[in-house]
Amino acid sequence: MRSSLRFARSASFLALGLLVATPAAAHAESADLLSPSFGLMFWTLGIFLVLFFILSKFAFGPITAAVEAREKALEEAIENAKRDRDEAARILAEHKAALDASRDEAQKVIADARLAGERVKNEMIEATRKEQQDMTDRARREIENEKVRAIADLRREAVDLAIAGAGKVIEKNLDTDANKKLVESFLASIGTGKAGTH
Amino acid sequence: MTNLRTTSRLLALTAMLLALPAASRAQEPAPQPVHSAETTATRVAGQEQALGTAEAEPAEACAKHDPADIITPHITDSHCMEIPWLTWPTMSHEIELPRWKPIGHFRGQPIDISPTKHVVMMLFAGFLACLVLISAARSSRRTHATVGRSTGFATGIESMVLFIRNEVAVKNLGHHGEGYAPFILTLFFFILFANLLGLIPYGSTATGNIAVTGTLAIATMIVIEVAGMRANGVGYLSTIFYWNKDLGIVMRVVMFLVMSPVELAGKLSKPFALAIRLFANMTAGHIVVLAFIGLIFTFKSYAIGIAPMGMAVAIMMLEIFVAFLQAYIFALLAAVFIGQIRESHH
Repeated sequence: MRSSLRFARSASFLALGLLVATPAAAHAESADLLSPSFGLMFWTLGIFLVLFFILSKFAFGPITAAVEAREKALEEAIENAKRDRDEAARILAEHKAALDASRDEAQKVIADARLAGERVKNEMIEATRKEQQDMTDRARREIENEKVRAIADLRREAVDLAIAGAGKVIEKNLDTDANKKLVESFLASIGTGKAGTH
Repeated sequence: MTNLRTTSRLLALTAMLLALPAASRAQEPAPQPVHSAETTATRVAGQEQALGTAEAEPAEACAKHDPADIITPHITDSHCMEIPWLTWPTMSHEIELPRWKPIGHFRGQPIDISPTKHVVMMLFAGFLACLVLISAARSSRRTHATVGRSTGFATGIESMVLFIRNEVAVKNLGHHGEGYAPFILTLFFFILFANLLGLIPYGSTATGNIAVTGTLAIATMIVIEVAGMRANGVGYLSTIFYWNKDLGIVMRVVMFLVMSPVELAGKLSKPFALAIRLFANMTAGHIVVLAFIGLIFTFKSYAIGIAPMGMAVAIMMLEIFVAFLQAYIFALLAAVFIGQIRESHH
């Protein structure tokens, strides 16, 4: 708007200048190639000025404005895109970091779980082994006890049998109590001798 | 910069040399080129009528041409216009444009502002420029709202406008010279359309008339000088008066006396060169084309006619290029001159 005002001023200068500049060209009607006719100069100036104002207002102004608006819009779009890209990159980095963190976490959890499992397994194995050991020990002890008892029983039985047998053989020959002692000491000697060889 | 200045000084000297015979001729009544006794007689009669009883209707009727000269009517202005018409074989009809009474007298000469052929052509050029540019601007605005850019024809016009505005005008106008861009753009498109209208049948080249190019050049000169005054303030005077502070006082005065007229002549030679360049280019091309076409009628032979026709077509193609080139050069030089004077800090 201001530039068109300035141009209106320039144009008035222009018209003034033409009035001063054209008297030599006043003889019209000549077909001579090099003598300008005033009428044509007048028309040229008029048409040019009208064209200038019309085109400035309705053509060049809007076209320039549209292009400038477009350029601004493009610049803004580029700026926005750049900002969005930066933002996206930032978020991506964030997500990547979060992902990495969670992956580490998961790894740790898995490792922990594995460790815990290992421990539990070992403990269980240990416990089982111990129990087994206990059971074996107990079984062995019981067997031992049974064996001892069986030996004692067998011995008693053997004594009785031996006495019975010997009584049958010797009959009254022997005093029961004194013989019993004798046989028992004999059997004990066998027992110890057996234990000594075993 | 210095290169341009020396060039403009050279131009100024040439212009002064050229202007001398023209000025001396302007004093005496312009001699009429003699073609035949008959036409001289009618011309003298017409001249007398124009000089003596200017208010009376001129007796000159249209459709009466010197058969020996087909070129002059084509390149000069007249009150007669050829329009398309269904008459075999010319396919044209000559109409006489309205003649208005002279609006006044200057040194006994009537000031006639009746519209002529070139006026009609200029109006047509202006109308076309408005039509093309404004429709492009409207389409551009409409599609900017929907698509976000121009489409189709408007894109081409827009790129032309932008090229002239950014590459020709703004780049040369200097800092904050955007305000002069519409002037440069108008110059370009007005000259371009006027140039192109001379190339179509029934058309006539308004820019091949020294009055038209001279007016455009004077308008440009005034814009240049006003731009100089606005940009430099009092410093504008240094573009006329050469006052070199680096010299001693004696040399300074001598150089002032020598260079100031040269500076002034340089100032005047710029628009002079603009006017002559455009006028001569447009006129010369048409003379060449018409001369080639004239050869056909001179030899009256189909066999020989083919060659001039080919040449005329080639020259016409060159003329299309020249139409754009001269509009571009006029606009470019106007922008350069405006930028030059705005940036001149002596």
